[in-house]
Amino acid sequence: MPRAIIDDADGTLALLRQSATQFAARHDGPSGLRSKRAQESDIDRQTWTAMAEAGWTGLLLPESLGGAGLGLGEQAVLSEALGYALVAEPLALVCVPAAILLANAPPSPERTRLAAGLASGDRVVVPAWQDPTITIGRDAAGLVLNGDLRFVDGARSATDFLLVVAGVEGAMLLSVPADQPGLSVLSRPGVDGAAISSLSFSACRVATDRVLDRRDSREMLLRGPLLQARLALAAELAGIACGALDRTVDYSKTRVQFGKPIASFQAIQHRLVEMWMDAELACAALVRAVERLSAGDGQEAHLAVLAAKARAGDAAVSIGRRAVHLHGAMGYTDECAIGLYLKRALNLSAAFGQPESLRLEFVARERAA
Amino acid sequence: MAEDCNALSDEAFRRLFRDWVQANCPPHLRNMRKQRPLFGEVADWYRALAQKGWLAPTWPKEHGGMGLTPAKHIIYVEEWGRLGCPRIPDHGIGLVGPLLIQYGTPEQKAHYLPRILSGEDVWCQGYSEPNAGSDLASLRTAAVREGDVFIVNGQKIWTTLAHGANWMFVLVRTDRTAKVRQNGISVLLLDLKSPGVRIRPIANLRGETDFCEVFLDDVRVPAENLVGELDRGWTVAKSVLGHERIFLGAPTRPEYALGRLERLAEARGAFADRAFVSRYARLRLDVYDLASAFERFANVLRRGGELGADVSMLKILATELYQRITEEMLTIAGEEARFADDLEAGNEQIDAMNLFLDSRAPAIFGGANEIQKNILAKAVLGLPG
Repeated sequence: MPRAIIDDADGTLALLRQSATQFAARHDGPSGLRSKRAQESDIDRQTWTAMAEAGWTGLLLPESLGGAGLGLGEQAVLSEALGYALVAEPLALVCVPAAILLANAPPSPERTRLAAGLASGDRVVVPAWQDPTITIGRDAAGLVLNGDLRFVDGARSATDFLLVVAGVEGAMLLSVPADQPGLSVLSRPGVDGAAISSLSFSACRVATDRVLDRRDSREMLLRGPLLQARLALAAELAGIACGALDRTVDYSKTRVQFGKPIASFQAIQHRLVEMWMDAELACAALVRAVERLSAGDGQEAHLAVLAAKARAGDAAVSIGRRAVHLHGAMGYTDECAIGLYLKRALNLSAAFGQPESLRLEFVARERAA
Repeated sequence: MAEDCNALSDEAFRRLFRDWVQANCPPHLRNMRKQRPLFGEVADWYRALAQKGWLAPTWPKEHGGMGLTPAKHIIYVEEWGRLGCPRIPDHGIGLVGPLLIQYGTPEQKAHYLPRILSGEDVWCQGYSEPNAGSDLASLRTAAVREGDVFIVNGQKIWTTLAHGANWMFVLVRTDRTAKVRQNGISVLLLDLKSPGVRIRPIANLRGETDFCEVFLDDVRVPAENLVGELDRGWTVAKSVLGHERIFLGAPTRPEYALGRLERLAEARGAFADRAFVSRYARLRLDVYDLASAFERFANVLRRGGELGADVSMLKILATELYQRITEEMLTIAGEEARFADDLEAGNEQIDAMNLFLDSRAPAIFGGANEIQKNILAKAVLGLPG
């Protein structure tokens, strides 16, 4: 029932929300997650292709790079609507940071190729940057990579990786084909069923024309992509929170015990109201982050994005927990979709900064100013 | 009045109001410890506002108000709080005025409204009774019509600043046979100087006497002091608070308390303690997000909409957050949390215990938070009764 209320003068956001809802009716979220779990996969190619056709994989890419050229308000509305229906393809985790990394890089044929592939869905372009233990050497043919990168979503389905790594020459954005010799993908099951991978490089050779961008530090490369990805994740989490809430409200109105719907008991009512307030807060925090980041990426935007991701993560997980409880024994079954909301929330809440670390970052940033 | 404040941009109005307040709100009244000063204690400020024509922000101009839009009213209230202006006895401005403007007879408006603006009449609100608190509709103070007067008998309680008021607008039962309890209630304007009125102040946990018991024994109230229709007072009373309900959940109080917590924590080196920083971060983000939620409802008003029942969530969040912040102050006070008086923080005094005790009240008054949740359950989530 709660929704992020973002300025929508010409009604495009409402249309986008509507098409996301229609999309979710054709691509059932809970069964998508279950089939990922069964197949140990991370992206459903059929759903992914349909998303690309809708313009969503390249939503944030400029039109000059083959994207939709839309803004973070649109991304937020889309991610929120998909989260609500638990359509769990990694748009926020993969497409958003990939689009911003590419958009920020200087023009090159390689950039053009990857951006076009990302937008069309022909290529699955997956960023990897977390927990780097990478060393970058050089030989006659170009760069030689050794080491690991962790917490990579969509790696099993990737055609290309976008690595954000640093060495003595500074930080760089590298494009590496997924089938490059010396690169292996190690996957573990994510809590919600989608696989999460590590990339392991062993004398992996990368030609220098695959260096897409260079900056002084990884932070400079990651600043924009991380802000936008966290915002999109906040939106998806807010959507998950609202979806879990609505399912639970509906369930409690139909589940009869002691001759009455359990929603008529005050103990249940107050819990549901508290869950609703948490969902509303998440939406309000999200709106503030969209507004601030739309106005520029300074301190205000950073704070607002940190707050939104922390709030939405906490809301989605804690609403998920209470939602499972209010579904009773049914909630504890694998068959009931409410548990998938909790699991998806657990996954995304911990991704790209979990709430406690985001809050500490917020305070450190604010008090340093 | 010279300025048409509504015609100004939000920022221009904010500046205008702030500059004037800076120049005209007496410094010794700023950031008063007392939450609810009596009229006499803040009369200079009250009269300064009245003289400027800025005492009644939402009353229409023809009645001597500013006629502010809700959007400008929010700025007015925000700046008032930020500049540490004292609360004035505002039942006349905030409740009786709107009540009379909406439901009063021409004679009632002409008589009472100017007397509120001049400070001649100071009003209090007679709602709660010993056995009608959260369940207000069970109120039993009775008014029986005899000729051209009502004879009123009963007792009101938690009547804020009754001991500093000379008038009370009071909910009374005028029909004991009504099947629905909300019917059969009326609103009367009662002169507290009438024979049969006895007021007993009640000390609160902070040792102050903000509220009172009001005993009414055969008090004669002229029939012309009925506001609105007989037996329809419940509707009248409920409709008075419109967009003002947003202020029950303003982030102002938690923001102020958080500022005090920060001062205390800085003076005691608590920011070097990781455990404290973790707890502080949660409070800080709760305040930050409460402000975001407040903006969500303020935007409804700015776009010309009306608030729904969902605005009650702000009241719950703001009051509980205020409590948690003051609890944290006592945590970092350590053994000094045993004292009744203020804490030293560098060259400042922090009234941690005072704030802790003060924060108990808002979660109870204005409809206890559990009552707000009942309302939200029905009105917003549509849960069955």
